[in-house]
Amino acid sequence: MLMTMPSENLRASRPRINSAAALFSARVIAPAAALAVIVFAGTLSAQTAPDSSTKNAKSTTDAAAAANAPLSHDLSGVWMQYPDKRVDGAPIVTGIDESARPPLTPWGQARFDAAIPFMGPRAVAGKENNPSLRCEPEAVPKSLILPNPFEIVQIPGRVLMFFEEFHLWRPIWTDGRPLPKDPDPSYLGYSVGKWEDDTFVVDTIGFNDRPWVDSYGNPRSEEMHLTERYRRLNHDTLELQIIMDDPKAYKGAWVNAPRLYKLEPGWELGEFFCVMDEENDYSNRVRKPAGGAPATTNP
Amino acid sequence: MKLRLAILKTKNLIGASVAAMALVFAAGLFAQSVPKGQAAAPAGPTASDTPSGPLSHDLSGVWMQYPDGDVPGVPGMNAVSNRTRPPLTPWGQAKFDAAKPLVGPRAIPGVENNPELRCYPDGPPKLLNLPNPFEIVQIPGRVLMFFELGHTWREIWTDGRPLPKNPDPSYLGYSVGHWEGDTFVVDTIGFNDKLWDDSFGNPRSDQTHLIERYRRLNHDTLELQITIDDPKAYTKPWVSPPKLHKLEPGWEIAEWFCVMDEDNAYDNAVRKPAGVAPAHK
Repeated sequence: MLMTMPSENLRASRPRINSAAALFSARVIAPAAALAVIVFAGTLSAQTAPDSSTKNAKSTTDAAAAANAPLSHDLSGVWMQYPDKRVDGAPIVTGIDESARPPLTPWGQARFDAAIPFMGPRAVAGKENNPSLRCEPEAVPKSLILPNPFEIVQIPGRVLMFFEEFHLWRPIWTDGRPLPKDPDPSYLGYSVGKWEDDTFVVDTIGFNDRPWVDSYGNPRSEEMHLTERYRRLNHDTLELQIIMDDPKAYKGAWVNAPRLYKLEPGWELGEFFCVMDEENDYSNRVRKPAGGAPATTNP
Repeated sequence: MKLRLAILKTKNLIGASVAAMALVFAAGLFAQSVPKGQAAAPAGPTASDTPSGPLSHDLSGVWMQYPDGDVPGVPGMNAVSNRTRPPLTPWGQAKFDAAKPLVGPRAIPGVENNPELRCYPDGPPKLLNLPNPFEIVQIPGRVLMFFELGHTWREIWTDGRPLPKNPDPSYLGYSVGHWEGDTFVVDTIGFNDKLWDDSFGNPRSDQTHLIERYRRLNHDTLELQITIDDPKAYTKPWVSPPKLHKLEPGWEIAEWFCVMDEDNAYDNAVRKPAGVAPAHK
């Protein structure tokens, strides 16, 4: 397997072009930028962000954030995560940082051992069993750490998130409702959000235990309580911290360092569905010749 | 099979969420009670159907199509009406003959090959044709539609942009919408030819131009009229009669993904014991 880029990149680009997800998205820009500018012009002028010193987003200070206070409760737009090389050979997918992972419980360890990722140090070519290879929805939190853009739309009572990968969407209820007592297990879970000063805090429960939380096979149980903390540092920069409290899988909460996302005003999300027939075709054309496992193993 | 599942899922939702949704909708309704005379409701033969003039440019809410028995044994699915289908072209006929539907007069247990049995995403117009709820959300520059089936969403651009000249073929196509009087008209092109137009195997080619005409007759009722102009598959435009949808203020769209592993499990638990073909081979 190529390790120069996450396999998600290859898969994301496959339906359209033979390049990385970033390029895939860039391709969306070209035809749409002129038109999108109409939409975004209104937004930009309304937001009037004077701070243009965001080239090195990591140097953004709290003072800068304060200077943009009027933006702090507006997360809308298309956001993109870019490589930061924190994990050797696997750029980008560090919104969940394996080095911060607490010890696994016995249940968690068994699930982890059974998971054979197609990337990272435990990858075994020919035996990969990532749920996404069977087109199971990626779901959160993994959707949040992939090098594919997501869009946030705020409407009364809800924040909507749209993910290019697998064409997912999720509602985050902001109408003050509590988390449900006994939700049906689901891929995306049940999410409520509230503002704590300049931070939008999203609590999600009601997960099923099918997807992994990252690309390395770390498990997710139905007892997971996911917390996402979003903070717009300035017009162009969104900070996201992911905290996973899953006592069935991990001994202690898994607290990740905040991760930065860049606003991409000219972008519109493309249509990227995962379809098994196309996956099988892709396996035959690309994965097998490259020595990788096919997408499906017949049950 | 899936139809029954879908209806059950929807019913489960109602009880759980009525109270919570009341909040949201109360706010929505309040905001909608704008002074009369702002919306230019054009006079016409159907004006008597539209006492709620101020609502006419607001399609937001969860809408549900209910059975009306167009096709015996198959409730609901006639926003794309088999009765008005024009003759097929040779290309269309070949695709139609190769399609082995799960339901309807041409269904043959054991050989079904509906794209959704392999978890292909459903797209318009078939998405609009199924007895599952959809939600409409209007935001500046766009109308968003959310479908319970397949947890799919689509965006309809309302910022005045034209349809693209040469869009990549896709499951959902590329949609723009505009208001013509009290009717929201959606034009969509850029489809791929992997899906069917309906549950009966009528094909959808990459030359399809789909036109949806939405009109809110009153607070609780949305009319949808579907026209399919697909010269590659049909010898003339396929014009279906309008279909009514009911507002369901207490509903929220549930999570319902099509997942092959789950479909295989469903095969073993239900389809095979019932003598029906598995989802895929």
